[in-house]
Amino acid sequence: MYRIEDYVKEINRCIQCNFCLEHCPVYIEDGVESSVARGRLNLIQALLVEKTLVPSDRAGVLLNRCLLCTNCTQGCPSGIPVDDIVITARADLQKKYGLGKGKRFLLRQVVNRSNTTNLATWTLSIARRLNMVPDEFPEVASRSFEQRVPTNVKPTGEVRGRVGYFIGCATNYLYPEIGDAVIKVLTAKGYEVVIPANQHCCGIPALAHGELGAAQEAVSWNAELFAKLDVEAVITDCTSCGYMLKVKAAKTLDKDDPSQSKVAAVAEKVVEITEFITREGLWHDPTIVLGDSQETVKVDVDSAENNIDIADTAEKKLKVTYHVPCHRAWNSNLIQAPHKLVSMLPAVSLVEMSEPQRCCGAGGSFFVDHEELAESIRVRKLKDIQSTKADAVITQCPACRYYLRSGLEKKMPVLHPIELLANAIYPSVRA
Amino acid sequence: MPGLVRDLEALLDPRRVFSHPEDLLAYMNDATHKRVMPAVVVQPMTPAEISRVLCYANQNQIPVVPRGAGTGLAGGATPGIGSIVVDLKRLQQVIEVDRQNLTATLECGVVTQKFHTLVESMGLFYPPDPQSMLVCTMGGNVATRAGGPRGVKYGTTKDYVLGVEAVLPDGEIIRYGGKSVKMSSGYDLARLLTGSEGTLGIITKVTVKLLTLPAYRRTMVAVFAELEAAAEAVSAIIAAGAVPSRLELLTKSSLETIEAFIPLGLPKDAEAFLLIELDGHEGKVNEETQQIIAICRQNGVRETTIARDAAEAERMWLARRVLFPATARRAPTILIEDATVARSQVPAMIREIKRIAELNQLVIGVSGHVGDGNLHPGILTDKSDPELMRRAEKAMGEIAKEALRLGGTLSGEHGIGYLKAPYLEWEFKSAGVNLMRRIKQAFDPNGIMNPGKIWVDGGEAHV
Repeated sequence: MYRIEDYVKEINRCIQCNFCLEHCPVYIEDGVESSVARGRLNLIQALLVEKTLVPSDRAGVLLNRCLLCTNCTQGCPSGIPVDDIVITARADLQKKYGLGKGKRFLLRQVVNRSNTTNLATWTLSIARRLNMVPDEFPEVASRSFEQRVPTNVKPTGEVRGRVGYFIGCATNYLYPEIGDAVIKVLTAKGYEVVIPANQHCCGIPALAHGELGAAQEAVSWNAELFAKLDVEAVITDCTSCGYMLKVKAAKTLDKDDPSQSKVAAVAEKVVEITEFITREGLWHDPTIVLGDSQETVKVDVDSAENNIDIADTAEKKLKVTYHVPCHRAWNSNLIQAPHKLVSMLPAVSLVEMSEPQRCCGAGGSFFVDHEELAESIRVRKLKDIQSTKADAVITQCPACRYYLRSGLEKKMPVLHPIELLANAIYPSVRA
Repeated sequence: MPGLVRDLEALLDPRRVFSHPEDLLAYMNDATHKRVMPAVVVQPMTPAEISRVLCYANQNQIPVVPRGAGTGLAGGATPGIGSIVVDLKRLQQVIEVDRQNLTATLECGVVTQKFHTLVESMGLFYPPDPQSMLVCTMGGNVATRAGGPRGVKYGTTKDYVLGVEAVLPDGEIIRYGGKSVKMSSGYDLARLLTGSEGTLGIITKVTVKLLTLPAYRRTMVAVFAELEAAAEAVSAIIAAGAVPSRLELLTKSSLETIEAFIPLGLPKDAEAFLLIELDGHEGKVNEETQQIIAICRQNGVRETTIARDAAEAERMWLARRVLFPATARRAPTILIEDATVARSQVPAMIREIKRIAELNQLVIGVSGHVGDGNLHPGILTDKSDPELMRRAEKAMGEIAKEALRLGGTLSGEHGIGYLKAPYLEWEFKSAGVNLMRRIKQAFDPNGIMNPGKIWVDGGEAHV
């Protein structure tokens, strides 16, 4: 439950190798060892375990200057959950050094999102006044995604399966077009999509700010909502929501919390949409999906069932490059899925950027509080993107999408991979 | 020490002077366990800035501890009380890669892997490949004579240093050597500074020798039921002149550790698993491959497998690559030893390590660069358990003593730091160590450069 007692052993497991210097986007900018995982662990140990240091402004700065990107954790030889430990420290120190009252109130509003866009608009306007969002932050969609879709969408033909759809806040308020694409693809594939009403935020923004109570409310609420559905999978279009639902939700609650079994049942079923649609066996008949497309060349199904090689069958039209979201470690297929998806689309080709896994600097809402730092991280990313000369960027994280989009100044669209597929099925809806 | 911090802030950009305890915490140790908080950390950008800092420290007799990436395994970058840590990571320019002369000149903070990538993109080759190369710095490599698996064929960092620039404790900047491959002029100060572990001055630039990238590589594995047979085979391979570019040994205990971490289907009943890589021209590599297979057979190998392509080679090396994370997960602290003996003494050394492990009731995994006799006993311990740490350090001393008894050396590639300093007299006797002290005295009369490293005052340690 993100209590420091539970992480004392984990912190002690650090063998001090300093290999985390390679992975930390903040360290790459700051160049100081106190800005990297090992330094932060040693700091947390001194503050909260050994209590040889008292909390200070500098400690607050160092602990807040972490994107929670998990790159250090993914590369750690000892496999130490650094982001969990930083979250724990933030929760512990939050009262003195974390959020102001206004911000905490807003986070609660976001988490317990109600079905009204009015509230979101209102929240955003307050957030603007508190300087919590940059000026160019997109306007809230006039009708949230939840308001536009029914709670159940059936495919036109035979029902092949039934899935639940977890709507993240970004899709709901900012990018409802991602939600449209998800539903189009799933129904085209013969899935009935169940979209329970009154979904809450996944809770990861609250968790990142050490606002444990709000995160717990969100986790329990959503577990309750999804555990009772008779579905084979719970689909998300957001890698951070997925990370929360799959991995972090159980850790957020007390071990003995009555919701734990429901959280586990939901976690078991959580799949990112790109991975779901491309995973083995599902894509045996591409004509079902691509059949309506007027822009794509028909794929010869007989040629290869699961390994469709279409490189020579069509002239590629759209060149995309893939930015790999940091919150990818909860599913080992997340990185491959967009590659696989692109390889299924005759009209699209993928050109790899250098260091596709390098963080873009967004870090959820990190870029709001650390404008300069995030900007310098983004500059590196934008350089990598632009030197690919691609037409568009694809990524499965809405924070990356927003932040890269604003960095690219509308010169290059940033899309969810699933939108490519939806566009191939229904070219008329191409944005 | 507000006076010290203020003075340094006047000498450098104040944003590169760190004195908050929250920042200093990150600099209390390198990859070893003893932790001491320095007085201040500075990040100079140029040799001139380093010169100013050293000059100031020398005048005020303040100890200085140079630091690269802090990945050292001997404690060479562990600060002393009241010391100034000079973090050298910001000097990261590759000044020149000279294709015609096959040399490169670079600043000390260049990350080893980045340098590899750069020269390899030009078809060139810089062989030293320490385990920490993804983060460690070239300056740190030179200061510790860092090695790596390729040592068996290509030697270690010391074999590539042609020239150095260094700042001496009095602020003087000296240069020795350069692009000349031959040099017989004066004392070889480049060699002297190489491996000096920050006790003589701060190495700011190095000129290193490059090779051309080998055209072809091949990987194979050889599985032996007996350790002695594997060691015999290794000696015979080297003697036959078929020198592999990497020749790594995984013993039974390492194989078990790896399998528990990632099941790779490694043989369960083998005592020795040799990973062999050959490089060079394809024809020669093919010839040497056959030669090595024949030698392994003569020595009773159970099976040999040759990688068919790069992907399979990669899978074979995966076992060696994951040994570090696999070991890291077994204990909160690992003392990674690097006692080195003649190749023929490897089986005897491994037997002794096993005995020492049992005697001290410790788990000590053994793997290593068997081709050059450089073993890495990994002593599993826990920094939060003083009694266990005491036994681990005792075992470390015993391993060191045994390596010397077998005619080897205390350190193959990590350096002495503070961890092995108590043993130095075992290797060089008091006459040898006293000479080193006098050399140090000539460079650093006030003793400000990294005190407490390489040797300790008070003579021989007793284990």
